[in-house]
Amino acid sequence: MAMLQKKICMIGDFSVGKTSLINRFVREAYSEKYLTTVGVKIDTKELDLTNGNKVKFILWDIAGSESLTTTTVSYLRGAAGFLLVVDGTRRPTWDSALNLRQEVKKQIGDKPFVILLNKADLKEQWEMDKQVLEEKTKQGWKLLATSAKNGMNVEEAFLELALLMST
Amino acid sequence: MTNIPANVIEYIQSMWMAEMILTYLHIDKQGCLIDWGGYPQHYGLTTLVKDKSVVEQVDFLDGFLDVTHTEVLQYLNIGGNRCINAHIVPLDDGIYVLLFDVTDEHDRQQKMQQQVNELSILTYRQSQLLQELEATRITLSKEKQQLEQASKLKSDFIATLSHELRTPLTSIMGYTKLLDDAKQADEYESNYLKSVKKNANHLLSLIDNVLDQTKLEIGQIKLHPNNCNIKQLLTDLKVLFLPIAQEKGLLFDIIIPNNLPVQLIIDELRFRQILINLITNGIKYTDKGFVEVNITWQNERLEFIVTDSGPGISSESQQKIFTAFHRENTANHLPGVGLGLTISYHLVELMKGQLSVESSPQFGSNFTGFIVADSVQFANASNVQINHTNIKVLLVDDSIDLRSLIELYLENDGYTVMTAGDGQEAIKLALQTKPDIILMDMQMPILDGYNAVQQLRDKEFTKPIIALSGSNIEHDRDYAFKVGCDKYITKPIVPEDLLNVISKITKQ
Ligand SMILES: Nc1nc2c(ncn2[C@@H]2O[C@H](COP(=O)(O)OP(=O)(O)OP(=O)(O)O)[C@@H](O)[C@H]2O)c(=O)[nH]1
Ligand SMILES: [Mg+2]
Repeated sequence: MAMLQKKICMIGDFSVGKTSLINRFVREAYSEKYLTTVGVKIDTKELDLTNGNKVKFILWDIAGSESLTTTTVSYLRGAAGFLLVVDGTRRPTWDSALNLRQEVKKQIGDKPFVILLNKADLKEQWEMDKQVLEEKTKQGWKLLATSAKNGMNVEEAFLELALLMST
Repeated sequence: MTNIPANVIEYIQSMWMAEMILTYLHIDKQGCLIDWGGYPQHYGLTTLVKDKSVVEQVDFLDGFLDVTHTEVLQYLNIGGNRCINAHIVPLDDGIYVLLFDVTDEHDRQQKMQQQVNELSILTYRQSQLLQELEATRITLSKEKQQLEQASKLKSDFIATLSHELRTPLTSIMGYTKLLDDAKQADEYESNYLKSVKKNANHLLSLIDNVLDQTKLEIGQIKLHPNNCNIKQLLTDLKVLFLPIAQEKGLLFDIIIPNNLPVQLIIDELRFRQILINLITNGIKYTDKGFVEVNITWQNERLEFIVTDSGPGISSESQQKIFTAFHRENTANHLPGVGLGLTISYHLVELMKGQLSVESSPQFGSNFTGFIVADSVQFANASNVQINHTNIKVLLVDDSIDLRSLIELYLENDGYTVMTAGDGQEAIKLALQTKPDIILMDMQMPILDGYNAVQQLRDKEFTKPIIALSGSNIEHDRDYAFKVGCDKYITKPIVPEDLLNVISKITKQ
């Protein structure tokens, strides 16, 4: 039997850590150097789910931007879910994420997503205020503080999304 | 390329890319890979198998097999180090996926985007930093304001406290002097009296120093330069300190040069204060040897050097010696709070001069200073004893102690004295009895001195009024003159001075 295959998009403003999160998840690697993504980079990763099933993630690491462009819109086709990435040390990337979520919904409908507040290792520069986050959690959104740098919650983030997509 | 349909070729030509080597995949309606051409391995598609599901082999095609019209995926990186544009073209016999190498264009675009993004992050961090700086600045300036306010409150409090302390001291000192003058005390009583006098004097100088320091801190000390008989001042100091030095077995002298003008225009009170501070210190710290003051006059500069043979001051301490509340380690057993030198230092500065110290443990200390002063021609003024019996003095003070004390002095000197306990009573009495001079306490219940004077002047009372005040704050002094006082005397009152002033004013 063919393995279950899921397309997942990484969406968020530029330099929030989308590429880094995938590098951590797929290759257990991390680099401080910033190399912006132009277009999209596709990776895959097979994962054992908690229910015993296996799944192959097709990961679309999409160039960061505060809103969708004609190029990026075409990448979304067939996505089963997405990770909405925010740089916790840059408050405006949160607003971009909210905006992107609306635009994605318009393009491909209401797909499961998890919001990742990345760079959680940079506590001193943290700009996210708790109240806003709590409000979203109350609305039923999944939020996770992650760090591509030290690996915190990275695998958990993908598993969480897998869980949302399977229900 | 023979088995590519003509319309596909046409499509390629329409893109003006016909000269490129084409890589393509052909997929049937069921999603199976039928055929391919060109170099798919350049883009990471190394293990293609015919007649097998394409989405299991070419990941990015998952979700694109149901396209109804041509879809273009730009700048696709599917592994390997090349970048492609993928054109997904649905046709009757399945789907053609055309792959164009756009690595060069991607790299150019990437370089540009990199710069834009990095600049944008830099700008953001900079603006955050500026905001933080601004917030810090606001916090600091608020804190500074609070500190300044607290410091002003402290200074005001100390000033008020010092005035409050001065008033009762006046009466203590006055009565002590009266008792002493009576000379009827036995030996014990006389010793007790001496002790009371000494301690009251010490207390007064402490209060004065604290008050002066406070006023220096809040910039309230102004000089009142006037004609000063400088030779007399120096001689007085010599007379004052000689017995004190002798008591400790020290030699003491003030050496006055011949070229010293008889009169200089200086703030006599403050200059005296400077020398008293320096000489007092010299005598205090010196146990053996001498204390000597050398005066020189040159180019409108009055220079003074106070030399002692005391224990000297370490070079470390010399740097701090003019700071408030600094005290020498050797001084722990001696009275004082460490303000004298600071005050002197600032007073000298106010007089456009300088004060410095030189010292070594073997040779004692040298305090050298100068002030700038104008000299004036000596005006010959002789004091003529006159009869005061016909002069009516109205003495106004709410303190009964002080009132009876001054009354005693005045009557001793022959004046006719009337007294009042507050401003209201004073106005009534003044208008009824028409005194030749009024001595008016400024701080009184019911109606204070300032208001009383103002009302009297409004009611055309023209005779001189002397303000007696516990406050030597500049502002209070100015205000007293503003409401119509002719003279301002601060407590504690030195009887001789008061009598002199009254005598001078009534003579005019
Ligand atoms: N401290 C810290 N830095 C991180 C983390 N994740 C990413 N970074 C850094 O953030 C910068 C951007 O990371 P990328 O992964 O390239 O960001 P991106 O979202 O892919 O950016 P674009 O491709 O331009 O949209 C890099 O310098 C990373 O090293 C993290 O968790 N902690
Ligand atoms: Mg990236």
